[in-house]
Amino acid sequence: MDEGGQQPVILLEGVSKFFGDFQALKDIDMAVKRGERIVVCGPSGSGKSTMIRCINRLEEHDKGRILVNGHELTGDVKDIDAVRREVGMVFQSFNLFPHLTVVENLMLAPRLVRKTAKPEAREIAMRYLERVQIPEQADKFPSQLSGGQQQRVAIARALCMNPEIMLFDEPTSALDPEMISEVLDVMVDLARDGMTMICVTHEMGFARKVADLVVFMDQGEIVEQNPPAEFFENPRNERTKLFLSQILTH
Amino acid sequence: MSDIVGWLDDYFWGAMVVLRVFGVSLLMAVLFGLIGSAAKLSKSRIAKSIASGYTVVFRGTPELLVLLIFYFGSAVTLTHIAQIVDPEIQFVDIPPFWAGALAIALVVGAYMTETFRGAFLGVDSGQIEAARALGISNFKTFVYVRIPQMWRLALPNFGNHMLSLMKDTALISVIGLEEIVFVAEIATTVTVKPFTMYAIVAVIYLAITTVITLVVSGLEKYSNRHLERAR
Amino acid sequence: MSFDIMLIVDSIPKMLVGIGLTLHLLLLSTVIGLILAIITLLMRISGRWYLAWPAMTYIYVFRGTPILVQIFIIYYGLPQFDFIRESFAWPVLRAPFGCAVVALSLNAGAYVSEIMRGGVLGVDRGLHEAGKALGLKVHQRFIYITTPIAIRLAIPAYSNDCISMLKATALASTVTLMDMTGVARTIVAQTFAPYEIFIAAAIIYLVLTWVIQRGFGLFERRMSRYVKQ
Repeated sequence: MDEGGQQPVILLEGVSKFFGDFQALKDIDMAVKRGERIVVCGPSGSGKSTMIRCINRLEEHDKGRILVNGHELTGDVKDIDAVRREVGMVFQSFNLFPHLTVVENLMLAPRLVRKTAKPEAREIAMRYLERVQIPEQADKFPSQLSGGQQQRVAIARALCMNPEIMLFDEPTSALDPEMISEVLDVMVDLARDGMTMICVTHEMGFARKVADLVVFMDQGEIVEQNPPAEFFENPRNERTKLFLSQILTH
Repeated sequence: MSDIVGWLDDYFWGAMVVLRVFGVSLLMAVLFGLIGSAAKLSKSRIAKSIASGYTVVFRGTPELLVLLIFYFGSAVTLTHIAQIVDPEIQFVDIPPFWAGALAIALVVGAYMTETFRGAFLGVDSGQIEAARALGISNFKTFVYVRIPQMWRLALPNFGNHMLSLMKDTALISVIGLEEIVFVAEIATTVTVKPFTMYAIVAVIYLAITTVITLVVSGLEKYSNRHLERAR
Repeated sequence: MSFDIMLIVDSIPKMLVGIGLTLHLLLLSTVIGLILAIITLLMRISGRWYLAWPAMTYIYVFRGTPILVQIFIIYYGLPQFDFIRESFAWPVLRAPFGCAVVALSLNAGAYVSEIMRGGVLGVDRGLHEAGKALGLKVHQRFIYITTPIAIRLAIPAYSNDCISMLKATALASTVTLMDMTGVARTIVAQTFAPYEIFIAAAIIYLVLTWVIQRGFGLFERRMSRYVKQ
């Protein structure tokens, strides 16, 4: 089984991305193996969100190669569809569909993309709602839930597609402090089950606890990447040190 | 082609009439809108209910009907009065220009009332509190803080109301104002080219509304310049 | 000179002779206008210039000219061309009713497509991205995410447009149609009591306006169940 673990499921080679004249990503190389958990951190505007958004083609990269589970992301719709089926994403602002109830939010993609029958889709949805511990909210609308509950629904919604990889784009940044831990608990739980994860987050406690690798980005570049113990105890780059001192002193 | 050339000066003078009606009724409409919004925002219950009555009636009645009420109503009234003085008089009316300008100004003024009201309310109350905290008088707050900010909020709707007003001027031909629709009617009876003659009217209106749209979007850009992202 | 309230009350039933035609015009042109608007909207957001440009030109011309002029061009103007008099559309365009419906529908189509576009643009970009990330196709996102949300956002503006349409039906009276305004004008010509007759007509228009507003208000409440109060 483990030799599959040697083959990267996500591979970025020399990836660059421009917004007009502004270069958001500069020659990014990264390889993620199956079951690996990566935490990406860095100051705002460092390109970390752009990078993970390129992985499921919410942004198009301009140069380099991105391979996800063997599919190369080019303009080809088939590959994009395949990648999106295998990659789940959780957004900073939840992005739940406001006009659908919680359970309908979870059922939509399985029904439309996987053509799952309605009763079965509902069954899957309820299973994942139980997993994020809010089955009792199934028939409410997102606006009736707290931020923490909404983000847990969003995680469950992504899981309903049974993805092999999960991307988290600052999942706790829009939350009130008292709700952060309920979301992180769900993520830790996922990590324990062996999900391949890339999380953009500033929750350094989470990084220490679950990450195999912490990646620090600044100005569109990967400045440093190391296992958490090494990364936090012994940062090499000056920019990393500065960032850590800013984020950890409070 | 020669059919058109002979009528060009008539269209030109007709267009001048259109622009004059537009100018006059725009001024009146702004005035009605300001008075109406002030009344709606005032504390007086009577002023408030008069203003809501005004907006409900004039936004819910067809412009053409308002125009007909004004023109024929005033004509009947004036004729009655004139006949008291001189029983020989058959018919007296307000010039269509003024009856028309007033009627469409009242309709558009009702819309402007709502726009101005919304814009005044849209200015953050924190702004007014900030001005008060700085010791700026109520009047100066109104002139220097509220007006410049409400103007920006009102502008997009205000532009649409100007376009409605411009297009409503065409209705005044129905009561005999000699503007471009009227010119087209006359020209048609002579040339028997109705499509050509009315198409010219459409082109003239399109030209004027295009100018209005461009001016408004220019003003919008100017009044939103502080919102442009610093980059 | 007198102002006779009883005459207003008496004329209201007479006015109702024209209400059928007014509502008929309104209903037909709203429905046709809606279809035109959807087609125009799809052309505009198709991202293909040869579809988007004709749609934009159509919107530009019809929003930039008075409806009265449009009605006159269609009613008086089109018969200038032989090919139109010989075409299949002639039975519709020969009659004032057909011309009024065509003009009002084309107008509604232009305005409503802009209203719909506003609704579509008002849908949060994040929801599109969530749909993409879940693997939904373009048309699935449009049908299941954009449309329901855009409809709710567009209701207030659409309600106002329906009221404008009601008021625009009065212009049909300028091409000899006996809608409510047409009936009122005829009665005024006979009785020469403009205030009473026209005010009676205005009252009926106001009631219809109220009904439209109220109806859409209820619809909006229903569509907004999911929005936090």
